[in-house]
Amino acid sequence: MRAAAVLAGLAWAPFVLADDAVTRPSWSLRGFGSAGVAYADFADADFNASILKGNGVGHSGRWSANVDSRLGAQLSVKANAQWSAVLQVISEQRLDSNYRPSVEWANVKYQATPDLSIRAGRIALPIFLAADYRKIGYTYPWVRTPVEVYGAIPFSNSDGVDASYRFNFGSVKNTTQVFVGRTDLKLPGGARIEARKLAGFSDTVEVGALTGRVSMLTTDLTFDVLRTFFDSLAAFNARGAALAELYAVDHKRANAFSAGINYDPGNWYVMAEAGRMKTRSFLGDTTGVYASAGYRLGDFTPYLGYARVRSNSSTTEPGIDLAGMAPQAAAAGAALNDYLSWLLTTVPVQRTVSVGTRWDFMTDVALKVQFDRITPQGGSRGTFTNVQPGFVSGRSVSVASAVLDFVF
Amino acid sequence: MQFPSLRQVLAAFALALLARGAGAAELVVIVSARSPIGPLRADQVADIFLGQVGRFPDGAEAFALDQAVGSPLRNEFYDKVAAKTPALMKAHWARMIFTGRGQPPREAQGSAAVRKLVAENPALIGYIDKSALDASVKPVLLVH
Repeated sequence: MRAAAVLAGLAWAPFVLADDAVTRPSWSLRGFGSAGVAYADFADADFNASILKGNGVGHSGRWSANVDSRLGAQLSVKANAQWSAVLQVISEQRLDSNYRPSVEWANVKYQATPDLSIRAGRIALPIFLAADYRKIGYTYPWVRTPVEVYGAIPFSNSDGVDASYRFNFGSVKNTTQVFVGRTDLKLPGGARIEARKLAGFSDTVEVGALTGRVSMLTTDLTFDVLRTFFDSLAAFNARGAALAELYAVDHKRANAFSAGINYDPGNWYVMAEAGRMKTRSFLGDTTGVYASAGYRLGDFTPYLGYARVRSNSSTTEPGIDLAGMAPQAAAAGAALNDYLSWLLTTVPVQRTVSVGTRWDFMTDVALKVQFDRITPQGGSRGTFTNVQPGFVSGRSVSVASAVLDFVF
Repeated sequence: MQFPSLRQVLAAFALALLARGAGAAELVVIVSARSPIGPLRADQVADIFLGQVGRFPDGAEAFALDQAVGSPLRNEFYDKVAAKTPALMKAHWARMIFTGRGQPPREAQGSAAVRKLVAENPALIGYIDKSALDASVKPVLLVH
């Protein structure tokens, strides 16, 4: 009798496991958000966390809640040990300045083996260390991810397929992710940014408290918002056509590469990252780097940061040679040249020194305050938007921010 | 009267040896007495509890079972095994959840409840107060 019970127990063991709460169908609804306010000591441009926002702080107002505020919800469904799905919706200020929610992720995941998973749908782009959680302020120490590096790729997701494989080599944990997809961004006024034939990989290595990630992506990029200008330039003369070919973002191959490390043994951290974005267009070829370090004192984590972005391509362009042209043609040519030169000032060249602290004052909620001293350089307007005539490249400006990050 | 199996005797002996060198140790990581898993290193245990590895070293599927959030035992466990404060653990799981890479371990209330669930299921790994050990579970790491 006893032996029979033991045998029955053994025979049932796998089924007991399969039926256990750890593997049975389940769903969860979770949320995250940031309530932020920023103050700027300047008014001739807007500072913002992303170029995909309508306005920021500075010209649009000395105080702004739009820079860092957002609310997100995530519905996760797990059908069984293999199949799961996730839907993440985020509301934050968009380019048309409203907060209409958008679908950040919507994908189905198949866990082929405990180490290999495949996802299809809208997926986070795994570029940069914090790329896949850059919208969840609670997960990182700062008020926002450094704009000099993370601003290079404003997209945070793509529609496609990815595969993720992890393996351990002694105490080294490696995760390799490959992805293909595309992403479209509709701009106010009907224009759009299209990233087609998007493909890339990301490799994350963890050894104890050290995490490193390298990632690469390549895409066919089209940004048709300036079509009228580039059409006029191309129609002007042969040189104009050559310039339009050179600077228009019309099916241009864009490549991004990033490498970052994070060392976090518990009571302090250092994090450093470099990213390069090469677009072969007026969007430029830039390299951004940042380094940040923090020390944990109980519930407080004071930190310092330095970030810089510079251009690897020329940000000045002599344009069309106007010598010997009839006055009317020369005036039109000069206008085209001026506009092109202005476009090239949007290639960011900038540095920022940051100091701040995170305060984990209650469960699931962190308060952060941060002070940034930002200097656009070399004639560039840096990462600033809504630039006004009074704006001076090379002058340092300050932004002070406070944000309440939470997860629920 | 049921005699303990050879494995249980060895496990008890191993624990006695571990405890002798450990002095003030109070936390012990356990698997079911039916599990073939041997002693584990702290980093192997941390990997499973942080959702970074889904298997025991022998390849069998592993599911972590946590103590209730906010319990001193849980805070001490993560402090010693992963060098993470409760706030850092929260940030870790927020990253895992909101990137779709995993869900935090399920929880049980107190050492007796953890021990009971672990004893019943060889796929589970938990941690309890050393004083709650009995023959239904096998210690695989003493945390000190």
